[in-house]
Amino acid sequence: MTSRVTLPIEGMSCASCVANVEGALRALPGVRAVRVSLATEHATVDYDPASVDLSAMRRAVEEIGYGLRTATVHLRVTGMSCASCVENVRGALARLPGVLAVSVNLATETARVDYLPGTVQVREMLAAVREVGYGAEEKLEGAAAVDREQEARRREIRRQRLNLLVATPLALLVMLGTFQPYGVLSRIVPAFLHAKPVLFLLTTPLVAGPGAQFFAHSFAGLRRGVTDMNLLYATGIGAAYLIAVVNTFWPQAGFGGPQATFYEAAALLTWFILLGRYLEAVTRGRASEAIRRLMRLQPRRARVVRDGREVEVSVEEVEVGDVLVVRPGEQIPVDGVVLDGYSAVDQSMITGESLPVEKQPGDEVIGGTLNRTGSFTFRATRVGRDTALAQIIRLVEEAQTSKAPIQKLADVVAGRFIFWVHVLALATFAFWYFVGYDLWFSPLTRLMLTPYALSGASAVGFAVLVSIAVLVISCPCAVGLATPAAMMAGTGKAAEFGILFKGADAVENLSKVQVVVFDKTGTLTAGVPSVTDVVAAGLPEDELLRLAAAAESRSEHPLGEAVVRAARQRSLALPDPDEFQAVPGRGVVAAVEGRQVLLGNRLLLAERGVPVGELAGRAEELEAQGKTAMFVAVDGRPAGLLAVADTLRETTPVAVRELQRMGIRVAMLTGDNRRTARAIARQLGMDEVLAEVLPADKAAEIARLQSQGFRVAMVGDGINDAPALARADVGIAMGAGTDVAKETGHVVLVKDDLLDVVAAVQIARATMGLVRQNLFWAFAYNTAAIPLAFGILYPVLRQIVSPELAAVLMATSSLSVTLNTQRMRGYVPPVRRRYRTAAPAPLPATPTPAPAGR
Amino acid sequence: MQNAPRDPSTTGAAVSVGLSLLAALAFMGLATLTGETSWAGRLVGAVWVFLLTAIILMPVIVPRVRARAGRR
Repeated sequence: MTSRVTLPIEGMSCASCVANVEGALRALPGVRAVRVSLATEHATVDYDPASVDLSAMRRAVEEIGYGLRTATVHLRVTGMSCASCVENVRGALARLPGVLAVSVNLATETARVDYLPGTVQVREMLAAVREVGYGAEEKLEGAAAVDREQEARRREIRRQRLNLLVATPLALLVMLGTFQPYGVLSRIVPAFLHAKPVLFLLTTPLVAGPGAQFFAHSFAGLRRGVTDMNLLYATGIGAAYLIAVVNTFWPQAGFGGPQATFYEAAALLTWFILLGRYLEAVTRGRASEAIRRLMRLQPRRARVVRDGREVEVSVEEVEVGDVLVVRPGEQIPVDGVVLDGYSAVDQSMITGESLPVEKQPGDEVIGGTLNRTGSFTFRATRVGRDTALAQIIRLVEEAQTSKAPIQKLADVVAGRFIFWVHVLALATFAFWYFVGYDLWFSPLTRLMLTPYALSGASAVGFAVLVSIAVLVISCPCAVGLATPAAMMAGTGKAAEFGILFKGADAVENLSKVQVVVFDKTGTLTAGVPSVTDVVAAGLPEDELLRLAAAAESRSEHPLGEAVVRAARQRSLALPDPDEFQAVPGRGVVAAVEGRQVLLGNRLLLAERGVPVGELAGRAEELEAQGKTAMFVAVDGRPAGLLAVADTLRETTPVAVRELQRMGIRVAMLTGDNRRTARAIARQLGMDEVLAEVLPADKAAEIARLQSQGFRVAMVGDGINDAPALARADVGIAMGAGTDVAKETGHVVLVKDDLLDVVAAVQIARATMGLVRQNLFWAFAYNTAAIPLAFGILYPVLRQIVSPELAAVLMATSSLSVTLNTQRMRGYVPPVRRRYRTAAPAPLPATPTPAPAGR
Repeated sequence: MQNAPRDPSTTGAAVSVGLSLLAALAFMGLATLTGETSWAGRLVGAVWVFLLTAIILMPVIVPRVRARAGRR
């Protein structure tokens, strides 16, 4: 069979591009014909879907340097209840021609689809999801999305609560009726409740009412060839109920004899599954709380100055350049720059900073934050989808929709589980019917948690009961939620602290990181160098500084700016240089008031024939302290030294110490000379120094560490260090401020605080701990109980697992996952607990050398 | 007269049901041979085998039939 697809190609500029793309696509096995048009930037490909798929075509195009224009859509999918549902929805979407990648998340009830626009329509995706039995609609953004999502979640919780409310009294009456002849119940429960027809009348509405959803869903799925956990529930409940009905009207049929009813099994099974469903609905609602909290921050109204008057408008109507007014206690509607006024703004909801930040003209304000004290006006710089808040919401949503490798594995396991559970149930039935019953059956047989003996059970009745227990007990219904619920809780919690994970894989990778590499300038240090020492030789100190600053006054280099700043701080008048020349990698040469001034490194002076003499020794001393020494020569004679250093951020030493305490090696990456780099590393107690690394070689250094077997995180500036951040297992971009989406790296820190690196690792570890615990709880009960349900202890105990006991174990696993995930709600990273109220204990402002060379 | 093409899902379901019926019949035969005396027991057992086999086979067979129809 031949299919045709039209691929939108990016990056073609000439006929040879056309030939390249055609050649790359034609080389793929299964591609029969290719026509590439430069004008429309499209490639039409006839291919055999059995031999080649779109991903292979995409790879082929990308490998030769072009791209496919793709689009992404988020769908809201309802009706999923387990990992099999996830697989069913994913499969239905992935089968559509034009769909490149699909990620379905049970916890958020969303599907993210990357597709080729023009090849497949969103309505076809919705139809494909509906075709396999689930509800689907395109996910909205903004306030409307919040309302719609909240309403949908509330509806689902209400529906399951109502089911539970209807089921609870009925299940309770069935229980009381079943156990009426025993103990104290015989005195307080009326005897008629024990009559089988009464139990039949109580159980039937329970199974046919709240329990009907399992049968309806299973039937709809089976008709389309898909199965999910509902089928396990339906088989278990249906079989228990049918056995009970047979026992009521034909007591001698061999299903346990006249004493046994099994109505309690059907009723309790239904009740426990409904309880599990309700808990899952609540967990889903709570897990996405972080997103909803962020969405709720989006203001709806704004006060804009139009024609000199304040007009209140909807926030959607605010445009870039509009002037807005904010009063005390009001939310700032969009991002902007303060024009007039003074205030303190609570930015904790975006950046996690606990103290309000002072704002004055020229400062940036973030939409969604809260104005505390004064009024001010500001000019809108980013509105709608571009605001920091909208970007953060998108990042967190993306992260929550993505899947960690551990989750993909869990989904595959759970997806296959249902098939194998039914195979196991069939094998169990066959074994007990043909072999086990004759070998071990005893009339004293009891079902665990039931009062009566199964003396009258025939081979078929006994075998069916055991296989039902296997079906119910094996059901890993909590697996589907175990990982995504923990991931959502973790990434949401991180967002509260201004730490944005771009994907679940970033959480998993960061939790396993062994080495954290910090870029030095601007990361470990504040990135603003200052003059720390002035060593004069033959000239007064101020005169030396004045001449040097005058020579540097036209320089734009950070070192030159530091020298000029130092002179101004001493109120020195700086004349304009008559001549100025910057010598790259050396320094500057200038003429000031008729005197020739050289300012730079040893090489500059050596090349100009100026001996450094005794200054060399002093320069080495300064460099050993981690400072950058600059030589000054006036009229061909050495005149002194200026030492410049960048100051470490206040939190740098604590962050390094905390990471080391967590067993992580800490390294520094810098272009500085080895001696000064080592001096800083010594001060900070760092484990490794990667010095004299050119910016272009930073990624190679990261690769070298990875080749030694380390999992490496790189912390740096998201723009300059982009290649190194991308190369690392986890790239952490620091100090993104309001433009988080532009940052490269897998983790984006909104603030400029190194303690957030520690907090990010702690949150990642806590989240992965939660994932592992949840998976344990989701699988442990089932796995441990399967041999029990199979009847492995029956020859000794003469007891088999009752369907209701199986249901208790199943519900316990859901409950454990739910409760365990809730623990993340109150989680505060230890480093933030320790340094919550203020910056860490005052630390000496340690000098570090300024960026070396020019 | 030309027949309308049959829905692959229906074909898949029919194949699954057919195979499940065979499994149920096999159970009946085996149960009879091994001495199960009660007809009701044999019948209930056969129904249970049919149900479980259909549940096992349908998700395996229906997508394969659908995929084969798609390739044609």
